[in-house]
Amino acid sequence: MTKLTFDAIVVGAGPAGTSAAITMAKSGLKVILIERGRFAGSKNLFGGVLYTEAIKEVLPDFAKRIPSPPFERPVTEQGYWLLSPDSVVRFMHKSESYKKEPADAYISLRAKFDEWYAAQAVAAGALLITKTTVTDFIKDEKGRVVGVQTDRPEGDVYAPIVVLSEGVNNLLAQKLGLAKMDLPPRLVALSVKEVIGLPQPQIEQRFGLNGVKEGVAIDIFGDATLGLPGTAFIYTGKTSISIGMGLLLEEFVQHNLHPHEVLARFKSHPVVKPLIQGGESLEYGAHLIPEYGYDRMPKLFADGVLVAGDAGGMVDALHREGTNLAMTAGRMAGETAIEAHKQNDFSAKFLREYRRKLDDSFVMKDLKQYRRMTDFLDETPHFMKTYIDFANDAAMRYFNAHGLPKRDMEKGIVKSLGQRRNFMGVAKDMMKLMRGMGI
Amino acid sequence: MRSADKNMDKNFQPLDPALRESLPKVNVDDMISSVKYYVDEEKSHLWIKSHDVCAQCKAKPCLFFCPVEVYKTDNEGKVLVGYQACVECGSCRVGCPFLNIGWVLPRGGYGVAYKFG
Repeated sequence: MTKLTFDAIVVGAGPAGTSAAITMAKSGLKVILIERGRFAGSKNLFGGVLYTEAIKEVLPDFAKRIPSPPFERPVTEQGYWLLSPDSVVRFMHKSESYKKEPADAYISLRAKFDEWYAAQAVAAGALLITKTTVTDFIKDEKGRVVGVQTDRPEGDVYAPIVVLSEGVNNLLAQKLGLAKMDLPPRLVALSVKEVIGLPQPQIEQRFGLNGVKEGVAIDIFGDATLGLPGTAFIYTGKTSISIGMGLLLEEFVQHNLHPHEVLARFKSHPVVKPLIQGGESLEYGAHLIPEYGYDRMPKLFADGVLVAGDAGGMVDALHREGTNLAMTAGRMAGETAIEAHKQNDFSAKFLREYRRKLDDSFVMKDLKQYRRMTDFLDETPHFMKTYIDFANDAAMRYFNAHGLPKRDMEKGIVKSLGQRRNFMGVAKDMMKLMRGMGI
Repeated sequence: MRSADKNMDKNFQPLDPALRESLPKVNVDDMISSVKYYVDEEKSHLWIKSHDVCAQCKAKPCLFFCPVEVYKTDNEGKVLVGYQACVECGSCRVGCPFLNIGWVLPRGGYGVAYKFG
C-alpha cells in the first residue's frame, strides 16, 4: 500500500483550519483538510459575529463568490445592555457608516458559514475529508510530527507539516505537550445558545430594523448571568434570533447551576421576553470558549506542527472576537508552511516564524493587552452585580421628577453607590478593571 | 486566582437563595428536541472512570453544569451517562472536580450535527 502523502495536513475545518487550507492551496500546495463532523461547521457554534477584514485577507473576493457567503445580517447597530433584575441601561451605537458592501461585521450562523468557507478551500484545490476524527500523530524516529492517524480504516496520512486547528478541546495539542494542561474551569467559559425562529418582518419591527441590510448585535451584562462574571447576547439573524449566555465554567460548577435554566431566566426577563415572544426554538447548543489569556496560552509551534484558533486559546472575550483571530492565525500558519516548503525546513526553529508573525499582528497584541482580563473577572465576582444594579438605580433616580431637588437626587446617587461598596472597594475595583483592560 | 474548591476560595460567595429561586425549571428534553444527532449506537465517547469517586462526591456538579444533562443518577445514586444527548462541549471533562469523566471525540461523523450553530 502506498503512503497517503500531502504537502500539508489541516486538522479541523473551522475558521482557523480553513483559512490555513485556502492560503496553502492557493499557493499550489497539496492540502488535506480533515473534519470530524458530517460537514464543515456541523460541530461549530458561536454567538456570533464574523468580521470581514480577516476573511478578506484570506479571500480578497469573498463577497463576489457564488454562492455568496451565507451571512445573516450586517451589524449596523451594536452595543451593551446593563441589565438589572427589572430594568436596563442601554449603550447602543447605530450609524449609517456601518452600511457598506461588504460590511465590516456580519451576524452569522457557523454551521452555515463554515460549510461555505470550507467549500472555498475545496475550490482553491484543497481536499476536504469529513466524518473523520484525527486520533493521534505519526512521528519519525526523532520525535518530529510527520503525519496523523485517523479513525478511518488505513487512515494514516503523512505530510511534513500539520496545522492543528482542532478547536477548544485541544486534546491533540495536549498530547504533544504544547498545551501544558487541560482547560481549568476558571480559564474557560461555557456558553449556551438558542436560535429562535421568527418571521423576518417581526424581527425588523421588534428591533427597529429597516430591512435585511440592518442588524443588531447586543452584548448584555448583569442580571442575564445572575450578576456573575459572564456575558449574554442577542443577535438578529434574517429570520431568527441568536440568544445566549455564558459564564466561566467554574461559576456553573461552584454554584451547581443548570446553564439552560440561567438561559431560560434571561429569556423571561421583562426587557427580553417581548423580543423573542412567539418564536420557535430552532436549535439549542453549547460550546466552550478558551480564556487562558496571553500568559497561559499553549505553545503554538513544534517540529512539523503549527497551532491556530481556539486550540491555541485565541479569543478576545472582552470584544467577543475569536473567529477573526482564528482566521488571521490560520492564514499566517499557512504562509509559514509555504515558506517552510520553500526552505524545506519544518523544524520548530524555523516554524517559530509563525509566532513572530502573530506577535506583530493584532492577534497577540490584543491578547497581550487583555492578559489580565480573565483574572479580573475571576477575582471580582461581585463586579457586574454591584455596578450594573447601581447604574440602573442611578438612571432611575436621574430620570425621575418627584419634586426632589436635583442636588438631593445627586447625593442620593452617590449614597446608593456607597451602600453597595465602600470608597476603597470602588477604588480597588476600578484599579483592577483598568489593569484587566491593560490601561 | 481563585481556588477550584469553593470551600478554599476566599472570593466565593454563595448564590443569593432568592436568585436561585428565580431560576425557572426547564425540561432539557424540550431544549434538545430540535438538535440533530447521529448517535453512535456501538460506542459511548463518555464514561465514568470510577464510580467509587462519584460516590464520594457530594456536590455532583456534573448533574447541573452539563448543558444537556447527560449525567443523571439512578435510584441508588449511581451516576448514569446519557452520552446520546452530548453536544461535545467538553465541560464535563474539565469541570468534574475529580477529573473522573473520560472524554474522547465521537467517531468521525457521529454525535451532534448543528444545522445553525
